Amino acid sequence: MSNVLRLALPFTVWIIGFCGVYALQGLSCSRHWLPGLDARTMLIAAGALFVLVQAAITGAFLLRPTSSDFVQRAATVIATAALAAAVWTSLPVLTLTVCT
Amino acid sequence: MSQTGRHRTALSLHKALARIWAPEPGWRGWLTTSNNNDIGRLFLCVATAFFVIGGLLAMLIRAQLATPGSAFMGPEAYNQVFTMHGTVMMFLFAIPFFEAMSMLLLPGMLGTRDLAFPRLGAYGLWVYIFGGTAVIIAMLMGLAPDGGWFMYPPLTSAGFSPGLGADVWLLGITSIEVSAIATAVEVVVTVLRYRAAGMSLSRMPIFAWYILVVSVMILTAFPPMILGSLLLEVERALDWPFFQVENGGDPLLWQHLFWLFGHPEVYIIFLPAAGMIATILQVMARTTLLGYGWVVAAAVSLAVLSFGLWVHHMFTTGIPHLGLAFFSAASTLVAVPTSVMIFSWIGTLWKGRVRMEPPMLWLVGFYATFVIGGLTGVMLAIVPFNWQVHDTHFVVAHLHYVLIGGYVFPMIAAVYFFQPLLTGRSSFFRLGGVAFWLVVPAFHITFLAVHVAGLLGQRRRTWTYDEGQGWEVLNLVASIASFVMAIGFALVILDIAVNTFAGLRGRRNQWGATTLEWAAANPSPNYGFASIPIVQGRYPLLKDPDLALRIAKGEGYLAETSRNRRETLIVATATGAPSQVVVLPGNSILPFLLAVVTSASFLAPLFKAYWLSAIALLGVVIIALIWVWRLAPAKIEGLVDAGHGAMLPLASETADPPGWWGSLFLLLADGVHFGSLLFGYAFLWTVAPNWPPPSYLRPEVWTVGLALGGATALALGPRLIGRWIDRMVAPGLLVASLGTLALTAAAASVMIARPTPAGHAYDATLWLLAGHTAFHAGITLIMLAYVVLRRIAGHSLRIGEVRIVTLWADFTAATGLVALGAAWLPGALG
Amino acid sequence: MAQTIADIWWMMLAGAMGITALVLGLVAAAMLRRPAPEDGEGGAALWLWGLGLGFPVVTLAALTVYGLLMGERLLPRNAANLVTVEAEARQWVWSFGYADAPGLVTKDVLHIPAGRPVDVRISSRDVVHSFWVPRLAGKLDAVPGHVNVLRIEAGAPGTYAGQSAEFSGTGYREHTFTVEAHGPAAWSAFLQGAP
Repeated sequence: MSNVLRLALPFTVWIIGFCGVYALQGLSCSRHWLPGLDARTMLIAAGALFVLVQAAITGAFLLRPTSSDFVQRAATVIATAALAAAVWTSLPVLTLTVCT
Repeated sequence: MSQTGRHRTALSLHKALARIWAPEPGWRGWLTTSNNNDIGRLFLCVATAFFVIGGLLAMLIRAQLATPGSAFMGPEAYNQVFTMHGTVMMFLFAIPFFEAMSMLLLPGMLGTRDLAFPRLGAYGLWVYIFGGTAVIIAMLMGLAPDGGWFMYPPLTSAGFSPGLGADVWLLGITSIEVSAIATAVEVVVTVLRYRAAGMSLSRMPIFAWYILVVSVMILTAFPPMILGSLLLEVERALDWPFFQVENGGDPLLWQHLFWLFGHPEVYIIFLPAAGMIATILQVMARTTLLGYGWVVAAAVSLAVLSFGLWVHHMFTTGIPHLGLAFFSAASTLVAVPTSVMIFSWIGTLWKGRVRMEPPMLWLVGFYATFVIGGLTGVMLAIVPFNWQVHDTHFVVAHLHYVLIGGYVFPMIAAVYFFQPLLTGRSSFFRLGGVAFWLVVPAFHITFLAVHVAGLLGQRRRTWTYDEGQGWEVLNLVASIASFVMAIGFALVILDIAVNTFAGLRGRRNQWGATTLEWAAANPSPNYGFASIPIVQGRYPLLKDPDLALRIAKGEGYLAETSRNRRETLIVATATGAPSQVVVLPGNSILPFLLAVVTSASFLAPLFKAYWLSAIALLGVVIIALIWVWRLAPAKIEGLVDAGHGAMLPLASETADPPGWWGSLFLLLADGVHFGSLLFGYAFLWTVAPNWPPPSYLRPEVWTVGLALGGATALALGPRLIGRWIDRMVAPGLLVASLGTLALTAAAASVMIARPTPAGHAYDATLWLLAGHTAFHAGITLIMLAYVVLRRIAGHSLRIGEVRIVTLWADFTAATGLVALGAAWLPGALG
Repeated sequence: MAQTIADIWWMMLAGAMGITALVLGLVAAAMLRRPAPEDGEGGAALWLWGLGLGFPVVTLAALTVYGLLMGERLLPRNAANLVTVEAEARQWVWSFGYADAPGLVTKDVLHIPAGRPVDVRISSRDVVHSFWVPRLAGKLDAVPGHVNVLRIEAGAPGTYAGQSAEFSGTGYREHTFTVEAHGPAAWSAFLQGAP
């Protein structure tokens, strides 16, 4: 089961992070947003944290290989893909208009 | 041993197994069978029938649109027809059809004898048949839903759709989703645990990977939809205002919940077809799949990415551009793993030598169609373009390219490919070739024209159009071609039907395939394999063509029939090492009866017969208890001989029996459902107009104490039993039962404090959170009562049973605390 | 506005046709090929790394960035000369109000000045509808309880057809309207209540 989890983990974290960044953006445009916090700075920080977590997962997979050769290779590919996905889907926070 | 001696061994083994696995004779056999061959065939035939119904509805649509100002149908009829066409094709055809194919083929591919929970499969089939039939009957009575297959409120709320149509949709479709979840649990546990000896993860056939991924997707994508249906039905029946703006609801909540399901749904439909393509292509090209590991990684990535796309159906709802940008980026990204698959398959063709048999022909049809559908999909992911073509016929054409090209064509290829295995006959009459040349060109003419009509501004879901807008020729051409296509599809069905009854008797493995399902006899007998195969590679028949013979002679595991029951092997998930022997249940009427009462409880509210619904629900509990009771063996057997010198425990006597795995994945779905409820709550709190409500619920010390104490007791009780089994059973049961009661009392306190759920969406949501807690406490209490009854009847308690109860109790405690905490949080903050 | 979107379309159409031809050409070549047994497993890197991964990543990244930058240009930003109008939908009528002429309401005809940016504040009284004038801009939904703002601009005076573009029941097909774009003089006349 731990082998299966290793395959599932990277993108599970991706979908959580992705929805988290989107939720933060939604919140930053809602009436509950805390005055004094710059929405773009928060979004960039969240995006950076997201990417760091994905990078940590990829690193952990490389440093602690599993017994199954096949799972090790597939999990590394998946973790790298999830890292790239995190970077790609977080990029819009850098330039686009936040609440229009 | 002499040749005849060997033959006799195989034959006597076959006879003994055939007797053990036989369904009951006569018509009763169809109601009581749970064998994957029988259930799968029924599933396949019913799904095909729904495809025909959906197709007839499509022809009505094209007949109506053939000419401007058509008097064939008015808007009332047309709205029902297009709503039903979408609903039937998506819910009653596409999902059940691939479930049927997996039920039929998966045990063979994995080298096992049946699926993990045969009776659950039978239950899923009957619920599907009852729910689907009810929807069709309602349509024939003119009571069909007419709000479009995605049913946006407030149009579908009681105020604007007062009739029964929307209720038919909500209740009928929910019962079909219950069936899909049952099947998904069954498939996940089968792939993870029920395989041939030595079939490690890396040796699984590629289709098993795809269907594993798809089943987990069903378990995580359907719950938001089920929640949405629940909210809308409760709003319609009891006026709880989840989607009514004036009382704190928001219609956009439905769109989020629907598309949280609806986008993964597209990939839930495509990925099984992709698994079939990968399976068939390598055989048609006389080679093996290029980049197996890449394809697995791509399937996993695609599956999760597809959950990050739902807002691209909502690009025009006024969500800020940055929000759209996330989903635009994710939507283009999803094309990357798709592309990896597409080129892996072309590379497979490249390295092999292709033969043009009927399955290959349909795969060419897939390529010629799906690539275009994928590219128009990328176009739709581009926000400004989407703003222009959204809700026009361009989108209609795109989705038909993806679904027919990406699903129907590959599935036809799969039916032709596996026909020898399913029917024992190979194609003799070659109507299929003619059908192909009718369907594929006509498809392209139809939907290329529909693309253009959409670009010229023709909106979807308009019942007719005026002359002089430049759409006449396009629509006429599309309609004529669509009728040719329909004739082609009819020929395909005819061809397969004729060959099923009058084709040539096929020889074993006529395509020279290399995976285990082809080692079974044609057609595959109910027991599948005479002994459980031992595999040493990903393509067992490639280097070992005699494997089939050795399996038939009983040279694998579990060739023993003296125990006179349906047995198969459970293996270690990663390595495939034999680890348990599982006894599968025999024929029973219980799944059918449970389906009857389940469907009754879903359909009774249509006639406002809530009392009948309550009685049926009680029936569900009673029948479920009888079902579980009869399955639990009376005595402990210890290790059994599995052959090859392996003495293995019976699954029911281990700490992780199949029931534990099934519960784990069912609770995954349940957890996602709960998460969707929390999302809905947070969404209304941040986005809905008319918030905050007039007042928030403030927690009191004693209610918080009840919740904390109840959850602790729930977590503790089953652990006491598990730790000191046979000594602490009674105290453990008592502690756990008190826990369920305390948690229920805490939930009730929320409802009592806020007695008007129809007043504001906030109160309605509190009732759902409290209701979720009380419902799960009730389930746990029923499980505890079951344990008490078993003890009274003198049965010994098994560690596996205790662990299943622990799982449910933990889930109840954890979600109960979170639910009540969420209910109290806004009030506690002030 | 609509012209920007049309440009994106023509570019994507050309790209899509090229990619379709490439993929189908490769399928045909792969099917016709008869490799000798000694050819082995060559080419995996090209198929998977090159065509499977590299090719879509490069093209899609470019397309997405282009699409998002174009989308930014279509947003309702502050602009000189900005005119604001209200569009309220219900089954199956559109009512239009004008910030520059309080109290003035027109049914199923929206009047705007030509050559000036116009923000349409879109809302709904009952079910979900969508405001769409194909020649002026993309569509934007009218959602009960929300106000969505769409930026449009008519290049020249004239009449532009508009329609609701979210299914809304039996009257959906006939739920249409027109946009009248006026020159400066006609626009001031309209605001002062002249016919």
